[in-house]
Amino acid sequence: MNPWIRILIYLIAAPVVGCLLAGWDRRISARMQSRRGPPILQPLYDVQKLWQKQNIAVQRSQNLYIVFFLLLVIFTGALFFGGSDLLLVIFALTLAAIFFVLGAYKASSPYSFIGAERELIQMMAYEPMVLLAAIGMYMVTKSFAVDDIAVHPKLLVLVLPGIFLGFLYTLEIKFRKSPFDLSSSHHVHQELVRGITTEFSGRTLAMIEIAHWYETVFLLGWVYLFFASMPVLGVAASLLVFVFIILVDNVFARLKWQTAIKSAWVVAAVLGFGNILVLSMLH
Amino acid sequence: MTLVLTLILLPLAAGLGLLCLRSSLPRRILVTGVTLAVCCGSVALALLPTPVDLSGLSLNYHWINLGMLLVEIAMGLYIIYVGVRARHPLIVGLALAQAGLMVWFELTAGLHLEVAQNLFVDKLSVIMALINGVVGGGICLYSLGYMREYHETAHRDVADRRPLFFSLLFIFMGAMFGLIFANNLVWLFLFWEITTLCSFLLIGYTQTDEARRNALLALVMNLAGGLAFAVAIVWLYRQTGSIELQTLIKSNKVLMLMPAALLCFAGITKSAQLPFSSWLLGAMVAPTPVSALLHSSTMVKAGVYLVLRMAPVVAHTNVGMMVAMVGGVTFVIGSLAAITTSEAKRVLAWSTIANLGLIVLCGGIGTYEAVWAGILLIIFHAVAKCLLFLCVGVVEHKLHSRNIEDMSGLVLRMPRVAMMMEIGMAGMFLAPFGMLISKWAVLKAVVDASPLLSVFVVFGSAATLFFWVKWMGKLVQVVGPSERIKKELVLGEAIALYGLSAATFLTCLLFPLISSIFIKPYILDVYGNFADLGQGNVIIMMIMMAMVLLFPLSLIGQGKGPKVVDAYLGGANVKGGERFRTIAGTVQDVSIGNYYLQNFFNEAQLSRWGVIGCTMLLAAMFFLTAFV
Amino acid sequence: MSSFSKSPWIIHYDASSCNGCDIEVLACLTPLFDVERLGVINTGNPKHADIFLVTGAVNEQSKDVIRNIYNQMPEPKVVVAVGICATSGGVFRECYNISGGVDSVIPVDVYVAGCAARPEAIVDGIVQSLGVLEQKRREMAAAPKNVDQTLYLRAEKSDAPEILGLQKTAFQSEAELYGNDSLPALQQTLEELQQEFERPQWVVLKAVVNGKIIGSVRGHAADGTVQVARLVVHPYFQRHGIGVRLMAEIEKAFPDVKRFEVFTGEKSRRNLDLYRKLGYLPYKTEPGTPTLVYLQKERK
Repeated sequence: MNPWIRILIYLIAAPVVGCLLAGWDRRISARMQSRRGPPILQPLYDVQKLWQKQNIAVQRSQNLYIVFFLLLVIFTGALFFGGSDLLLVIFALTLAAIFFVLGAYKASSPYSFIGAERELIQMMAYEPMVLLAAIGMYMVTKSFAVDDIAVHPKLLVLVLPGIFLGFLYTLEIKFRKSPFDLSSSHHVHQELVRGITTEFSGRTLAMIEIAHWYETVFLLGWVYLFFASMPVLGVAASLLVFVFIILVDNVFARLKWQTAIKSAWVVAAVLGFGNILVLSMLH
Repeated sequence: MTLVLTLILLPLAAGLGLLCLRSSLPRRILVTGVTLAVCCGSVALALLPTPVDLSGLSLNYHWINLGMLLVEIAMGLYIIYVGVRARHPLIVGLALAQAGLMVWFELTAGLHLEVAQNLFVDKLSVIMALINGVVGGGICLYSLGYMREYHETAHRDVADRRPLFFSLLFIFMGAMFGLIFANNLVWLFLFWEITTLCSFLLIGYTQTDEARRNALLALVMNLAGGLAFAVAIVWLYRQTGSIELQTLIKSNKVLMLMPAALLCFAGITKSAQLPFSSWLLGAMVAPTPVSALLHSSTMVKAGVYLVLRMAPVVAHTNVGMMVAMVGGVTFVIGSLAAITTSEAKRVLAWSTIANLGLIVLCGGIGTYEAVWAGILLIIFHAVAKCLLFLCVGVVEHKLHSRNIEDMSGLVLRMPRVAMMMEIGMAGMFLAPFGMLISKWAVLKAVVDASPLLSVFVVFGSAATLFFWVKWMGKLVQVVGPSERIKKELVLGEAIALYGLSAATFLTCLLFPLISSIFIKPYILDVYGNFADLGQGNVIIMMIMMAMVLLFPLSLIGQGKGPKVVDAYLGGANVKGGERFRTIAGTVQDVSIGNYYLQNFFNEAQLSRWGVIGCTMLLAAMFFLTAFV
Repeated sequence: MSSFSKSPWIIHYDASSCNGCDIEVLACLTPLFDVERLGVINTGNPKHADIFLVTGAVNEQSKDVIRNIYNQMPEPKVVVAVGICATSGGVFRECYNISGGVDSVIPVDVYVAGCAARPEAIVDGIVQSLGVLEQKRREMAAAPKNVDQTLYLRAEKSDAPEILGLQKTAFQSEAELYGNDSLPALQQTLEELQQEFERPQWVVLKAVVNGKIIGSVRGHAADGTVQVARLVVHPYFQRHGIGVRLMAEIEKAFPDVKRFEVFTGEKSRRNLDLYRKLGYLPYKTEPGTPTLVYLQKERK
């Protein structure tokens, strides 16, 4: 399929899929807690409501950072689904996340500041594993381009089991879910108030939510890549991984950031690097 | 040929001349004039076809060599004197060994040697010359205003030895040109040692105890490298009868491994890789132009330049692997250590050490992709790091503090400088700026050559993200009222800073051009093969750059904007978001400080592990080369 | 769009409650009542919240906090007072340290009585507030469009309650500026306001949109000077020229008087600019909390 058509489909379908996934997330979490849970379209109602709220800010320019955060997340996903270089995709996502963090810094409030520092620590925690995942895929498919990886005949998860498991571990961090919901939590923990999103409201908060939808779709797309040679299995695996992440979210309490970064780096070193070591020895 | 010689000799002569000029106006004129001349000269050199035709003038090489030997002996005697006066046996010992070896070599063989090509200028030399001339020149212009404020306001207790300062800057610049253009290793060695001496004198400029101590440390470590350099020359002569760099690069690899290893060792000490990093950290006591010129943009680049020259020789060998691992370990440890400190210059120093480690990693790997990445790193790092150092210098003068925590709200207090610092920091690690492009190239090179080394790159790059962004955030964070500082920059400083900011953008935007005009011919010449980032990727980077540039523009046109409310302080706000009510009704100020993770990453411990690890790696390198 | 009624986010604050009502509020989140199925999220952050749930009576320490939280909430917002203490002070009403229910500090939209208020009542209160929220949103969205249909009329005594509510809402921003909720405008009771209608030489004007009073001003003539006071415009309708028009109307209402006087706090930049634009010049400053600036205008 023409990459531009793929990008177009992504631009239109991703927020829809992301919204539904976010709704299912809350539903499934509620059911796990013996509650009924909100309607599936609840995230859409949330965004609609937020869009109509008054525009307020602590510092006048803080909301602008979030606009760029959203634009760059969309851009990242477009790059990914358009089939370009995986490393470039990672770097673009980093750039987007940095706009998010800088916006929280700009808001100049203690809670948003703590959220920003913790978001940075989270980024530091997952970056090695994410880069190692890209490198692992390169070693098998001899290309960084998502296009090439997606059509590779081998089932990548079989050759990259360590990397897949490590990637799953860091997905929990990237989705900002327990036990790694360090920067801003959807649970009722309020000791950080809302962490990094504390000083954002109204349309800006809606944009953050939409950016999370795009990001969810992109991350699940990357999970699909591990199973790309069998598309049906890939889609099923992505959804299963999503449910698994929700399960872990509900089962575990939040870990300290020290534990988060230590464990993530150990996982990257052992599972990720170990996988690469094995691969390079086999060649 | 004349151009090349002028570039070497003009700054040297100017340096000697500046020693005599006491008053500020003639000094300003001379500095500005020579700087402009050198800049134009470097650019003119870049326009010539390479390798540059050096057959123009016929010089009496015998007398030149003799003169150099005399300078060499004089410097050696001075260093021994310094060592004796400081009661530093190691300095005396190293200087004696090094000088003794060189004198013996020269008298027995060197002076009578017929060297085919004393100077050699190819594209890599041109790139280094441009950096030295343009970036170095910018720093000299900056120093005019900076040193005036340094002595008149900020540091009145330091003796005003500005004639010496400026003369050393220019002597250094001339020596650097000589180093870059030399093919005769003895000449290279002389210029190398001149830079060591300049560094020693400049670090000790403030003449405090701390400065003296750090200057001696720098001297010891660079002398160790110099000794290795001298041994390398002798070894090379023994093996091939020649003392030319190009001969070393093009001869039989197996024979050349030991000299190459020795030269890599010299490069490692010069560019402050672990275990020799402490001298660079200590050198931060010197005034900012010194830190910018010698210890981030130019002199330390000489070390990695030498390693990159050695790249074709050490590729796919044990020596290369050991050198690469030293670079990799330095990169990781440098990045982690930079997180733990809040002193701005120390952060920049660790970051410099780390990035040089990355270049050494590329040099050690030695494939065409790696060297391409390494050269890109040199260019982008020189520009961005220089910009950052100069900005920190200005901020230090205006705020009287080097602590990052005091730079809160700088975007309101010194908006221009803050914006340029943001550009510099973005240029150090953020897509789509230059360093990111280089890091991408490094990853590709590493993955193709030896994937196991990628572990260093991924962990180090995660750490660099943390300390840069928290500094960037500190600058934009505004807690409490802040007043605008009236005159942020003087003329010289402004030219240098604006120029470097523009250069950061331009080098990034034009990097495909830079790559194809300068780097590609060099790589093709040496390897016969060439690496690229791909047309599509370049376009994507341009789009990202356009998006990033939209951001400051959008800050300008904001219209009515949002309603301003207070930050959330648990409802206890007393005055805006700055003060809040605490226990017993008392009121407290809000204060926000960055995480330094000092309990998590201990700088001293990291250094220690790095020193131990890298010493073992270097020992292994020599052992394997000598006996295997 | 009725998305407001589908996604109400709450911030819950305990003013000085015994925690009985708080526990019942938290019980609403439990599986038995599960307000999340209505889309309710208990955010701890005023900037994210639509509904401000307050329990407990108001004492000195919680006054500032309530005001801070209320001011940091973006419009449209509603306040729900949960429990009898929040409604009126409950059994603590006469205590020396209690100023009363929540409506002694901020305007309240829904009162949920009870001690402790039961979760069913609280959920009912939230649902009721959704209706208020929806109405406010409609007004907020319609404000720019309806401004041209504003009617400027004389107010009657029967308008007093609505004007008082409007006055307390509009003066919230002044209270925020000065950190002081004991401004006379906020402390005025309904009886005092009704008396003003009965006094001679007092004119009260109202600006009406769609039958709702969104602006008001008072003037009373004495010794050849008209003292203009209590110029209020609803926050949703501010910056649309209604204040200017009201001032023009009150000047028209006293055709024979030559001098008009008005006062405002010295930090109220917007008010000072408005009066200056209309030709009022400051002539006296009276120190106090807050410091007042008096402006006057001579008519030719």
